[in-house]
Amino acid sequence: MKPDRIVIEISSENLRKIIGLLKEKLGDEGFYLNTIVGTDYPSDKLFQIDYYITLIPDEQTIVLRVKIPREEPVIDSILDLVPGALPGECEAHDLLGIVFRGNKYLKRGFFVPIEVAEKGIYPLRKDSGV
Amino acid sequence: MAVDKIIEVPLVLEIPVGPQHPALHEPLLLKVYAEGEEIVKVEINTGYNHRGIEKLCEKRSFYKDIFLVGRVCGICNTVHADCFVRAVEEILGVTPSDRARYLRTLAQELERIHSHMLINAVMAEIVGYETLFMLIMRDRELIMKAKEILTGCRVLADYIMVGGVRRDIDDAKKEKILKILDKIEPKIKYYMKVFEEDVTITKRLVDVGIIEPKDVTLHSLVGPIARASNIHIDVRKSDKYDAYGEVPFEIVVRKEKDSWARMMVRWEEALVSLEICKYILENLPNDGKAVPDERRLPRRFPPGETFTRVEAPRGELTYYVKSDGKPNPYRVKIRTPSYNNIINTGFVYLEHSIADLPVILVSFDPCISCMERVVVIDLAEGSRKLVPLKKLASKG
Repeated sequence: MKPDRIVIEISSENLRKIIGLLKEKLGDEGFYLNTIVGTDYPSDKLFQIDYYITLIPDEQTIVLRVKIPREEPVIDSILDLVPGALPGECEAHDLLGIVFRGNKYLKRGFFVPIEVAEKGIYPLRKDSGV
Repeated sequence: MAVDKIIEVPLVLEIPVGPQHPALHEPLLLKVYAEGEEIVKVEINTGYNHRGIEKLCEKRSFYKDIFLVGRVCGICNTVHADCFVRAVEEILGVTPSDRARYLRTLAQELERIHSHMLINAVMAEIVGYETLFMLIMRDRELIMKAKEILTGCRVLADYIMVGGVRRDIDDAKKEKILKILDKIEPKIKYYMKVFEEDVTITKRLVDVGIIEPKDVTLHSLVGPIARASNIHIDVRKSDKYDAYGEVPFEIVVRKEKDSWARMMVRWEEALVSLEICKYILENLPNDGKAVPDERRLPRRFPPGETFTRVEAPRGELTYYVKSDGKPNPYRVKIRTPSYNNIINTGFVYLEHSIADLPVILVSFDPCISCMERVVVIDLAEGSRKLVPLKKLASKG
């Protein structure tokens, strides 16, 4: 990915293991979670979730890319490992309907106006009609 | 039946601070639970300013989006436009001239100075110095004037475009801006001294809202907040975008970790920004046109994706832009600094008194229109377990 971001594609089962390894090798002050970006690919029937991680002190940003099936969008939460994941996970849940297993703060109407959320619309899904 | 258990319910105050509140200038609700004067839990509720900008970006063309992202935030509009435009330029393979890169840097640094002055003025007001607020805001107008000379507008500049900037400057304008910079420097140094030495300000700010370096990285806090806790991060140094690779400057870092350090980092950064602005004006390259011909810009967008970062006044701002070869972007994701800095900092307020709350919040430089989203929930780590009366009542 431009400019000079290394993209590492991993399976959803390995995500927590890799974040745990990062914590172990670099320490709590060795990196921070930049953001979580979810993208909808209805033609491929999947959701792509990118975890942007910036390594300190060089501030090199790497991307952990996970793809999960669109029919069953469930992935393990990393909130207990990295508390900074809270807004990213909650936002991805509210806008795309991805479920982060283990994140007890997920809820609809977190971000989307409540009248849209009540209709079960996930605005950033390509077929949402928004 | 003998009584074998007594449940003592401590008196817990529930205080809503905001969304409309004289101490906060933007819509945000801090639901504070306090036992006596001590804060035991804070819920941060936002979502009063949600505009669905990411979805709107998908519905418009790349060129129209530049104007849209410039309106995510009023104060830091240039950095938003710069970050998005650089993402689009990476997709298109367009490189702006050196002169344009220098001018972009100049606009962003002027923006940083006036943003830092604004939040320091608000802090002065919060601790009770309304005159100091007025004085800092008066002198901030000088920087607004400099920005107007450069970009044509005081606030919303729409200065950055694909391939360059919208206006070039001549020698007369250069001299005018340099004169303003010379005029403002002693004023900033004076205000910095006030923040350093004034008894009331230091009493209100020192040792209030301490954030340990470990908590900074774990909670993804960025910008002056991270640098005030001795974390050396600055996108200008690491990504070397625009002219930051060629302009000499140092990252401002402090070790105190408290609200006072965060404000001092901002004052020191304002002085560093002044030096950057002077360097740019004195060393402005003449390698060609800074303003590209809009009619000759590419109309076809190749597929590709980019992730650009920029050091906004409040911290690291990132844009993810994905193109699938159509005129509109496939996905735009904006992660603003306040998004992390406000939502993830519920834990900082704990064990402080109610009076410290506005001070700590202002020291984070909250920008609600940037953050634009979300309702958050308890981050009360390490808080004591309390049973609020309300909850007990609801359970009968």
